[in-house]
Amino acid sequence: MPLRVKVRNAESGATVDMELEGENTIEDIIEGAAGYWEKDAGAYVLRRGKRLLRGQQTVAEAGVLNSDDLELIPDPEGGG
Amino acid sequence: MRPPLVLDGKEIQIEERSPPPTERRRAHKWLGEKALTRYKDAESEGLELFISKVAKEKMRNHALRHADEKKEVMGLMLGWIFRSGEREYAIVRDVVTTDLDSSSVHVRFDREGFEKLFASLEESGFDYLIVGWYHSHPGHGCFMSSTDVETQQTLFGRRHHSAIVIDPVNKAVEAFFLDGGTMKARDFAVYWDEYESPYHGTSVRTRRVRSDPDGVPSAE
Repeated sequence: MPLRVKVRNAESGATVDMELEGENTIEDIIEGAAGYWEKDAGAYVLRRGKRLLRGQQTVAEAGVLNSDDLELIPDPEGGG
Repeated sequence: MRPPLVLDGKEIQIEERSPPPTERRRAHKWLGEKALTRYKDAESEGLELFISKVAKEKMRNHALRHADEKKEVMGLMLGWIFRSGEREYAIVRDVVTTDLDSSSVHVRFDREGFEKLFASLEESGFDYLIVGWYHSHPGHGCFMSSTDVETQQTLFGRRHHSAIVIDPVNKAVEAFFLDGGTMKARDFAVYWDEYESPYHGTSVRTRRVRSDPDGVPSAE
């Protein structure tokens, strides 16, 4: 049975509602949300509360539940 | 298996609100002469970035703590965006950071440090937007390197997003933003909330001074 989650873009406050299957990976979620906002998926990480959701994990393995709120967090890099 | 399906998307509504009043804001003490002159001009035209005293001090102290070892530091700026008339501006209320993977010329979050960062986000105590990022250039001056520009373009491309660069060795600071694809310096003010005034909510009474029998004044 598909799950519905809300993904928030922490930089803009925008949100998307997504429908997932248990076999979808976290990377799929990041790519889906980043693609919707025309962002580079590789520059973000996804959190659920205090937990980092790791890219290769499936939704089921990561313990993502129906109605969860997830947040896309920028992962910047600085140089001098 | 099908990819995730995006069902609906929503943007935030930007609320109209006055920026911090002029009596509760000032220029950053580490601004150079040129930036300070620019600040004075920009003050009258309307600034687009206001950084709380708390956030300013956290960024400065973070950079100073690693200045001797010449290591860059970095963090995210938390706040919100508002509109005042035609102008949008960002408020930075706080900053968060975590363990870093850094050298004198490079910095990023340690791959094992995200959960500490997320704990700080959870404990921020207010609804936030990540309105930009800060990092230091210990001894190198305040500018946007090619890596910094790429980060800004990839992650912080909206007009309200800012990058703060701190040089703790030379005690210098600058803010930058992307304006239609061009990196520009941004003037900003440091503000403090009313409750941060040591006299907020109290009435100040004049002390009565009297002399004791030996003629030594004492306060009551």
